Order: sequence, then structure tokens, then C-alpha cells
Amino acid sequence: MKEITAIIRRDKLPDTKKVLDELGYPSVSIQSVDGRGKQKGAVCDNDLDPELPDNYCMSVKLKPTPSTYALEHTLPKVALFVPKRMLTMVVPDDVVSKIVKSIIKVNQTGKTGDGKIFISPVESALRVRTGEIDGEAIS
Amino acid sequence: MKMIRAFIRPEKEQEVVLALEGSGFPSLTKMPVFGRGKQKGLQVGPVHYDELPKTLIMMVVDDEDAAKVIGIINDKARTGFIGDGKIFTSPVDGVYTVRTGEAVL
Repeated sequence: MKEITAIIRRDKLPDTKKVLDELGYPSVSIQSVDGRGKQKGAVCDNDLDPELPDNYCMSVKLKPTPSTYALEHTLPKVALFVPKRMLTMVVPDDVVSKIVKSIIKVNQTGKTGDGKIFISPVESALRVRTGEIDGEAIS
Repeated sequence: MKMIRAFIRPEKEQEVVLALEGSGFPSLTKMPVFGRGKQKGLQVGPVHYDELPKTLIMMVVDDEDAAKVIGIINDKARTGFIGDGKIFTSPVDGVYTVRTGEAVL
């Protein structure tokens, strides 16, 4: 068994869920998280994420005049975050690559901020209602 | 690769994130969580708080960087009082970048 953790754009969530449905692995936990990557959260593309508030990029877009330079260097530095959705699902070993491929296919826009997918091992699983373990619990 | 999950005080979050960024680890995911520990929450006079707010910082780093990252978080999140939090490390088999579709961090 493997755990797939995918951190994706918020507006791609419905499409991703639809694709997982079609693959036959609809069970997924969804969580709202805030993330940042190599760009340190400075993603200012409202076309890509329409829900992003208008004033989100303010602190990044200051024009370099002497007064704004002074302002930038006296204000305490703030770490920026971008809102994301985190999907977590536990699936059998043999379907991991299939699921990863389809998640990538749906979520790929080619711009920064598309997200990451992590695969980690899971030792055991238990379905609380019936007490089934491991393979039967996640089928 | 290793996944590091750190439960830290919410007020220490900015300090930890900026310290990690300064050391070359800007990528992380954070989420607000509620938890309790060995002390079963917090007792302030007659009021008992069973679950306390924490921030969960999740990041995936290369094996050789894990010790350094844990050191930075430990250093910045510590106050010396009860409730500073915990750091957990777990193995990660595979990493994919969605934008390129490649199996690299």
C-alpha cells in the first residue's frame, strides 16, 4: 500500500475528483492548506487562480522608488503563502503510477504553482466499520 | 527523500519559515491543526483547554538535508516551555512535480 499526497491548485479539484472517479479510486481526503515553493509564494497570476484576492501581490509589486525601498527595508519581512488543496489517498501498490499519471495530466498547466505529488509507504490499514485489514480495507 | 512534519506554535511560524527560506529551503506546506500532548491540554485557573491550536509544517527534503532542516526548526521553534511541539520524519518513495511531470523535487 502507498499513500499518495497531492498538493494541487484549488480550481483543479473538481476535475481531479472526476478523473479519480473514472479510474475507480474515488476515496480521497481533501484539506485546505497554504503552501509555498521555490518562488517563495510570490505567484501573481490571477488568471490561474481567480479566487486569489486582488491585493495579494501588493507587497511584491512595490515600485523601486527611494521611499518604497525604505518602506520595504523597514517593514518586517513576511513569508507569503498561496492557498492550495491537499489530497491524500491510500491505494494498492500496482495502481500508484496510473493514478499519479492521471493527476499530473489533469493538473498540468505548465506554469509555476502546479503542485507536487508525494508517494510514501503505508504499513497497514483498518476499516473501522467492519474491522477488515490491509487490502480489503482500502478496496 | 524524507517528509518532515513539524507541529509548532502558531506564533513561531513566520520565524521558522523565514529561517528555512534563508537556509535555502523555501518550499513547504502549512496547515492549522488542534492538538494536545502529555499534559492533556492546558489548565488556566478553573478553565481547562483540552485542545490547543498549533501549526503543522510539512516539507519533503533530500535525505542529507533532513538533519539540517530539523535543526533549524528545532532552533527557531523552541521557547523552553511546555507546548513547543514535535517533529516527525517519515520516508517518501517518490516525488513528482506536476508542472513538468518529472520525478524530481
